[in-house]
Amino acid sequence: MATKTFTGNSWLSILASKKDLPWLTIWIAGLGVLWIWDALFLNAPAFARLQIAFLNSLFTGVMVVLFSLVLGWFVGVSLHMLEHSKSKVGFAVISFVTDILRSIPQIITVLIGYVVLTILLHNGIIRSSFVQMLWIAGIIAIAVFLEVADTIRQRIDYFRTLDFVDAMLCCGIKERRIINVEILWKNSRSHMLHKLIAIFGISIFLQCSIDFIISVGLSTDVSLINFPMTLGNLLANVDSKQDILALSNLFTEPGYLPVIFVRHLQGLSVAFCIVFSLLCIYMIANGFVRRHKLA
Amino acid sequence: MNERKYNIRISSEGRELVAIDDFRLAKSAITVLLGESGIGKSLILLAIAGLIDPDELDVQIDGKPYAAYLRSQEAIDIRRNGFFVFQEPSSHLNPLATLRAQLREGSLAKTHDEERILRKLWQNSTSSDIESILDVYPKPYRPSGGEKQRILAAMAFKKMAASAELEDSTFIFDEPTGNLDNRLRNEFLDLLIENFRDRTATIVLITHDYSIISRFASTYPAVSMRILYRELMLERGKLHLRDFLPGEYLSWLEKRNAAVRTAKKTETILRLHPDIEIFGRTLSISRDKEGCNLEPLVIRKGAVTYLKAPSGTGKTTIVKLMMGLIKPEKMLMELGSAVYTEKTNRNAWARGVWGKQMTMVFQHADESLNQNSKVKDVFSGLPIAGPMNERTIANSISELFEEEPSRDFLNTKVKYLSGGQKQRLNLLRSLILHTDILILDEPLNGLDFASAAKVITKIEMKLQSGIGVLVISHNEEIFDTLVAADDIYYLHSWSPNCTMPDTSKR
Amino acid sequence: MSALSGILRKENSGLRTRLLVHGAGIILMAAVFWVFISAVEVLRIESRESDKEIQKYLNLNKIDFGDPLDRTLFREALDIFYNGQTQRNDSVLTAIDNLRQRQFSDPDYKTGEKQSGLTWNMVKRLSGMFLQFIAVYGIVLIIIYLLAQRIAVYRFIKMKQHRESYLTQALDLINNARANQLGLISWSVVRKSVFLFMKALVKGMLLMLLFSPAYVIAYAVKTTIDTSSILFMILLGIISNGVLIHTANKFFTFLVAESRKGYVQTAVVKNLHASYEWNAPEGIPLRTLLNIKHGFRSHVFQPIFFNARFQFIPALKEHASFLVTGLIIIEMALNIQGHFCYELLQQILYKQYDIAAVIIFCIFLTVKATEIAIDIWEHKEKRKYGY
Repeated sequence: MATKTFTGNSWLSILASKKDLPWLTIWIAGLGVLWIWDALFLNAPAFARLQIAFLNSLFTGVMVVLFSLVLGWFVGVSLHMLEHSKSKVGFAVISFVTDILRSIPQIITVLIGYVVLTILLHNGIIRSSFVQMLWIAGIIAIAVFLEVADTIRQRIDYFRTLDFVDAMLCCGIKERRIINVEILWKNSRSHMLHKLIAIFGISIFLQCSIDFIISVGLSTDVSLINFPMTLGNLLANVDSKQDILALSNLFTEPGYLPVIFVRHLQGLSVAFCIVFSLLCIYMIANGFVRRHKLA
Repeated sequence: MNERKYNIRISSEGRELVAIDDFRLAKSAITVLLGESGIGKSLILLAIAGLIDPDELDVQIDGKPYAAYLRSQEAIDIRRNGFFVFQEPSSHLNPLATLRAQLREGSLAKTHDEERILRKLWQNSTSSDIESILDVYPKPYRPSGGEKQRILAAMAFKKMAASAELEDSTFIFDEPTGNLDNRLRNEFLDLLIENFRDRTATIVLITHDYSIISRFASTYPAVSMRILYRELMLERGKLHLRDFLPGEYLSWLEKRNAAVRTAKKTETILRLHPDIEIFGRTLSISRDKEGCNLEPLVIRKGAVTYLKAPSGTGKTTIVKLMMGLIKPEKMLMELGSAVYTEKTNRNAWARGVWGKQMTMVFQHADESLNQNSKVKDVFSGLPIAGPMNERTIANSISELFEEEPSRDFLNTKVKYLSGGQKQRLNLLRSLILHTDILILDEPLNGLDFASAAKVITKIEMKLQSGIGVLVISHNEEIFDTLVAADDIYYLHSWSPNCTMPDTSKR
Repeated sequence: MSALSGILRKENSGLRTRLLVHGAGIILMAAVFWVFISAVEVLRIESRESDKEIQKYLNLNKIDFGDPLDRTLFREALDIFYNGQTQRNDSVLTAIDNLRQRQFSDPDYKTGEKQSGLTWNMVKRLSGMFLQFIAVYGIVLIIIYLLAQRIAVYRFIKMKQHRESYLTQALDLINNARANQLGLISWSVVRKSVFLFMKALVKGMLLMLLFSPAYVIAYAVKTTIDTSSILFMILLGIISNGVLIHTANKFFTFLVAESRKGYVQTAVVKNLHASYEWNAPEGIPLRTLLNIKHGFRSHVFQPIFFNARFQFIPALKEHASFLVTGLIIIEMALNIQGHFCYELLQQILYKQYDIAAVIIFCIFLTVKATEIAIDIWEHKEKRKYGY
């Protein structure tokens, strides 16, 4: 049985001790290899589309993370403050609304957001791709920000169960400072970062899924080409779908394997990019939990 | 006396937590292990008992990897024949099994004497009382901390009874009396000595309760030859074990007792009326132990008021409601010219009381301080006029620490300090404020004898500046030397046979 | 009835409050959707009336609105009859264009049958689809609940056995290999590390399968397997979209957190079995993975497992909601005709927003019903353990 870990102070042992860094390295390296392969074998227009799609998805994912952080922080702290205020009306209203939002599957929230987006596109209210991506990030953030709000509330509630908050209050330290600085900033950064990594993964998944879904069509007036190029959008493209369908050939004709990596590269590259990124982000999040002993 | 000497190194991710070359464990004796909290006492004994998870910490014993030690006959025997009573009773009981089931689990299933042990630890309780406790699934709030602690002790005594015939077995009690009042603590010590007297067990008692020294000295002189006092201390960054002479503590205590203490009739700052209702319970305050003559609790300028009660009565609850942290169903408190009742809004405390008129030091420094703050940042956000620069912080810290702190120390994160250092910081954060009243909940928690003496001196200095102090502490032996008899109050659950004071003025 | 009286008892006040909040949420959403559906219906009636007016123009003989000359003549005629009302006349022409376009694209006109929103037939059709959706959801949820626990327990025990990942083992092997005099690593090290890399690759492929969005898997096997069958949908619901792996990971996290708690140390000093070796005398029999509820007696893992399971129950809510998301994606992205969520997409496409709203409300009800069931289950478990 292998029970030993890396010995000495090699770069391997340093990587292994960080737990999340090896997977970050694998992710970047994997995408790097894919990029080189595509640069060599994928036709130039498809390669350009793939790069734009990846960057757009990355940008949207990052924006989802930012929006979720702001929304989650605001709602989490507000809920806590309102819960401990004299009047409980505000707390009841916000909890009720968040409770309803929680019961709507994320993809439905995003779908509704996309329906509104198609109406805005159709009426010419939104035109630029940049604004579209911000809109998409905004609606995905609405679907997922409650996870950040929950983490914030859990952290505050945890410290409330200790003497932490009361001891500082008795010394005259303001409650605002105790929550925002002492609890959230100084004691919850790792927890929040972990949650944000997970949200980044969910946002990539939701983005790709919704883009793939709308390839079926949300409106007779607006189609895939009206939306910014993302990984999901590119995967829903007919060429990519054909490439993925070609994988079925492997069941009957295993010798077809080498051909796939050259002839069906667009669809395969997009699918690999999505799946590999989802796997690596999950592993990074898990490694982060282990490194910071969050569980 | 036969002793086993250990060389122990414990680290986590490259950071050394404990390193000691000469940890000695006396066989067939009781070792009372003293020393400030967080210095490594529990960790060392957990390592010896083979209870550290090698995945969590890197341990070396006598220069060998921990895995080798765990496979040794010594470690196997300690685990098989001994027991470890952990200091946090709440987290050491399974919340999804009744106490009865947990008391009869594993190797404890084969042992007898359960009833005798429980009766001794729950003296004055009927069988049905004990039975009803055993049917409980342990929760943070039920049974009480003291009851949980006694259940864990009962497990150890059951194992002790079962291994009575064995030549040697090791029993480690980590702060076993931390949640017990003096009466229950004495019952525990009686049972310990009873089980130890006629056999050859190795017992380690980790404690900060120095009054155990007086108890052993006065009650069990016959076994005193087999009781050793040792103190784990950090000197010039190096951990070592020294023999602690009981006389050091006893003579200090004697000297303090010799001083005359008379109540000063100074100005009253706070008056808490004695009929209080909270969480559906009625609590009352009196000057007599029986609780028949209820009187308001008074805090006066330049004097210490001492509130006593058995464990679990609600001493901390009372001071928390005085601080406006929990809402009672009924209370009346006069603070200066202001009146605070159950109807008073929490904001009133936030505006006028916290950090201005009153402040409070909580008993658990680990919970009260931000572990991820630097030492100098512990003082950030306090309502103090004038700047708190590194110089002023360093000056304040030096009042309770051995020497003026270095810049490195000021920039150290609180989590890397020992428990005693944390407790002193915890005290300093409140002592630095210019409030009229200082409430101290178990202020000597986790302190070694030298630090405790320093804290007592600091409190006396604060009194001279005119501040009023309210103390809650299990260390009655020490605080009785600081307080005049007239300033001692007792907290009770209200008895209908007693006369309630006239509260018609409300 | 007895269940209702049970809920009304005093000790169940916490559950009662939660059920009230759920009930209020359902009522509020029902009201919102009702208002929305009514508004859509009003707009539809208005639109029909307006269409009737415009249709009058389209019915005029000898005018072809596709012919620019006819359009100009018609516009001039309008200007004569409604002199000075340029804006009104422009609007009429735009409305005529819109109606003509819709007559080409709108299914109402294309299929010839007049679909008028939420008809009784539509409700019946939706009910059948909804029941099928719930059945698939229920089956997948139960299988994931059972499977996730077993995967997590297996992973936890493997962790306790201190087995490094294949990749780590391979890298470690290479890192620690000593080169011979020629500066080469021995053949056995190369062989072993290649074998370990292969194992890591297979494991990685399996993991990638579990993280694959459903549509990637479905399209990859579409020409080989009937992807519109219910069985395939259940299989896809279980293995795709990362649902299984995330649920298992949550349970694993609880196991790890519980294993660090003090009561485990107390169990050890009480001499409960503490070895995690498979089938060792004081270890864990491998077959217990089939019977995890009763298989760990006398072992310190038993309280760890039960405490983790206890916390896992409320956490199931978020996983159930994510599972619904996964199933919606499967139905929508795979274009499985006659399925509930595909129907939702179709109704949005053809702007039948009232029907879409009914479908969304049904999905909302499914999640709510799951939350209510889990709340009742959690409450019962808590009562069992004296909370």
